[in-house]
Amino acid sequence: MKNAPVFLFGLLAALTISWAGIVLGSHAQLGALAPYFDDGDQQSYPFRQSGIAARGQLVYAELGCASCHTQQVRRPGYGSDQARGWGDRQSVARDYIHQIVPQLGGLRLGPDLANLAARKPNAPAAEDLMKLLYLGSPTHPAYRFLFQERQISGQRSLKALPLAGRDAPAANYEIVPTEQAQSLVSYLLSLNHAFVYPEARPAPKETKAGAPAHAAPKETPVPAAAPDEKKKTEGAKK
Amino acid sequence: MIIAPTNAVSAEVSPVDVHARGALLLLLASSLGWLVLSGILALIAAIQLHSPAFLQDLPWLTHGRAEALRETAFIYGWAANAGLGIGLWLVGRLGGNLLRALNWTVTGTVFWNLGVLAGLVGIALGDMTSLPMLQLPRYVQPLLVVAYAAIALSGVLAWSGRRVDSTYASQWYVVAALFLFPWLLTAGQMVMLWAPMRGTLQAIAAAWYAQGIWSFWLAPLALAGAYYIVPKVTGRLLPSYEFAPLAFWVLLMAGGWTAGRALVGGPVPAWISTVAIVAGMLVLFHHMVLGLNLRVVLGGTGNALSFIRFGLAAYILSGVLNAIVSFRVVAERLHFTFAGSALDQLAYQGAISTLFFGSIYYMLPRLTGRTWSSGALIVGHRVLFIAGVVGAVVSLTVAGWLQGGYLLDGKTPVADILGNIRGPLLIATASQLVMLAANLLLVVNFFQSVCPCRTADASSPGPFRQPSAVEATAT
Amino acid sequence: MNGPSNSDPRIDQAVVTDDAVVVAHEKLLGKQPDEKARYRLLPLNLLFIFSGLIFFGATYLGRYAGYFDPKVFDETAPKATAAAAAPEDPIEKGKKVYATVCAACHQANGMGLPGAFPPLVESEWVVGSEERLIRIALHGLQGPVKVKGADFNSMMPAAGRVAGSGFNLSDDRIAAVLTYVRQEWGNKAGPITTEKVAEIHGKEGDHKPWTAAELEKLP
Repeated sequence: MKNAPVFLFGLLAALTISWAGIVLGSHAQLGALAPYFDDGDQQSYPFRQSGIAARGQLVYAELGCASCHTQQVRRPGYGSDQARGWGDRQSVARDYIHQIVPQLGGLRLGPDLANLAARKPNAPAAEDLMKLLYLGSPTHPAYRFLFQERQISGQRSLKALPLAGRDAPAANYEIVPTEQAQSLVSYLLSLNHAFVYPEARPAPKETKAGAPAHAAPKETPVPAAAPDEKKKTEGAKK
Repeated sequence: MIIAPTNAVSAEVSPVDVHARGALLLLLASSLGWLVLSGILALIAAIQLHSPAFLQDLPWLTHGRAEALRETAFIYGWAANAGLGIGLWLVGRLGGNLLRALNWTVTGTVFWNLGVLAGLVGIALGDMTSLPMLQLPRYVQPLLVVAYAAIALSGVLAWSGRRVDSTYASQWYVVAALFLFPWLLTAGQMVMLWAPMRGTLQAIAAAWYAQGIWSFWLAPLALAGAYYIVPKVTGRLLPSYEFAPLAFWVLLMAGGWTAGRALVGGPVPAWISTVAIVAGMLVLFHHMVLGLNLRVVLGGTGNALSFIRFGLAAYILSGVLNAIVSFRVVAERLHFTFAGSALDQLAYQGAISTLFFGSIYYMLPRLTGRTWSSGALIVGHRVLFIAGVVGAVVSLTVAGWLQGGYLLDGKTPVADILGNIRGPLLIATASQLVMLAANLLLVVNFFQSVCPCRTADASSPGPFRQPSAVEATAT
Repeated sequence: MNGPSNSDPRIDQAVVTDDAVVVAHEKLLGKQPDEKARYRLLPLNLLFIFSGLIFFGATYLGRYAGYFDPKVFDETAPKATAAAAAPEDPIEKGKKVYATVCAACHQANGMGLPGAFPPLVESEWVVGSEERLIRIALHGLQGPVKVKGADFNSMMPAAGRVAGSGFNLSDDRIAAVLTYVRQEWGNKAGPITTEKVAEIHGKEGDHKPWTAAELEKLP
């Protein structure tokens, strides 16, 4: 460590090797990940974000929603995500390929939102989300700055929040969501991990290889033991 | 084993210190400003966790933004300035020659701090990148790279132009941090901000960058101070020092690979987390050797050593705990909970801040040529700060453990969990308050100590004993 | 000893010079562990621990790295299914198709609506001949039909990918949903394979909706 060029080169190598391994390595593997075309549905998944949803994701990012909400469903059997109705399958890399700034998050003080629009038993409606954003709850702040209170001129706006009782604005006034709130809610309602990609299916465990016996098609061999079958599906995908 | 005295009688306040005084005091003073700011923001963010309605009408202080501001002020404000100040001082002293290019350092410091300030304003106004540890908006990032390079230049020059050919552990760690950070920052920016990669690859890159901040930058800077001060104050050789180079390279080589533990169970290929678990175990070797080397700290006394002792304990503990929680069995319960915040507090407040404080307490009298203004404030700072760190780490761990249990049990609604862990979160807030108060004591003491208005209270030969002379009489 | 005493708590006195620290430690680095034939346990132990960590790491990587496959997200997945994705469970797939296509008339519980839509539970048409069932699903059924002793007379639209179909379900989805209805709600008939559906689809092409009388001529 006395020789300056050698030492500095060693330092740079240490940084570069981990960079190459983790960042470039995963980029080489997943950088060209394409949407999945489903023959049955004659559609590609995931869907592209609509313009307003993409804007909404930026609002989500800049407000820092990710500091309390995650957007990554864990696989059934690992955590309680499935029991909570957050999703029946693990989120996979392909779910995020159209997102400009994926918001995986790191703390679950609030619920996971990755699959909000397909949540079970029932997904929230736009109105519920608007009310939560405006009124808040004991566990969620009220973001009044995303709304505008204004005098009703002529007809009541279609977008005005249906508020009653204590929360209602003064007579002749209405609460309307700003463009930020509207795009945020559109974004939240576009979050959907319902389509099951091949790589997102729960892997059968070695102990009970293959699908349950009663469901296995008669003449197809058990998949775990059939390399030919594997090739066939690979080929069909391409 | 006692270090044998050399014949050279070098004064404890060397011309190196006098020459660099202005530049280094500027770095330290700005670091303390950011420390207080990040403490205030940490308090706000902590209150918002148990009382979501707190400041909810201020769009620039939503919890997400307060958290991003806190993190940025802490890392790029406090830790960057303090770490650079300590690092430059260490390589300057160990190199034995006057620091060169100090006007670059001063200019760089000014622009670095202006850049961070502009970045914080940007975050508050809604330009945060939402990438952990890299929240600064895109438009200030190139400035930061250039400013950092300008500051660090004199450190690399001091190392390569050193008077003695031999090198010491502190020098390796400082040079690594000074040299690698611009590369880290540039590489991180490229793939996340300028030419963003697709989908979850961004999250992988962000995890690598955040881990790099620790492994390539802040941890080396913090350890450099400890490696220097412990033998200086105790006068003892570090045991098992022959393993120090291996420990150094293990941290650098394996450290970056531990990034994937932030993504365990997430939408990234399984190998990323598995590699992280393995790397986390390998890095434990670094922690073990560090503990062996610096265990002589237990025998010393003094303000700097008291801080360093706690900081090293927190550093080693955080390494062990990080390795444990990265295993999937444990992460199933603790990932996505406050246990992660507890580990962050342990690593960044318990280890980094405390080790920096130790170095600053040792370094400032050498820079000014005078003692600290008040001994009581030093003790107050230490007691309060350590109490705050312990309180925050323990309460957040409890909160995280409980939260993980409720989350795993699919029947407790998410909305009810917060109510069940409000107690520990209140204690965490109180701990943030205590830490903030402690740091204010440091700030008061610092400005009293450097104030030119201070009457000379030291006896005429200066406050320092001559180290080698003492050694001679001791033997 | 003319300097201030060591007891001033506002300062940390150093007992050695910088050069002494550097030079003394540099000597340690050059020293061989078994110098002067002194056996020292610690370096050996450290090396042993280091090798142990590497051994653990290699083993763990081999077992849980998901074969470094970018499409393996579950580290416990067996290798055979890692490369080719696990096949979708036909029951799960059929359930989804049923919910979107069939449940509107036959109801989620498979009981139909008395007088309007026939039940599927224990229906002889469902658990009986594969030939008839597949044709109904592919092309639809119209006219009077007797199910479990009750008479129905309504129109079931084609669901397969045939002319005039509103659903365009591929053959594998038809197979999946038929397998589902044959094994759900206590029904216990054998599964329908995609090959069988494809065979009938190929033979009949874009047949118009069947009548019960036509179907009863088939096996």
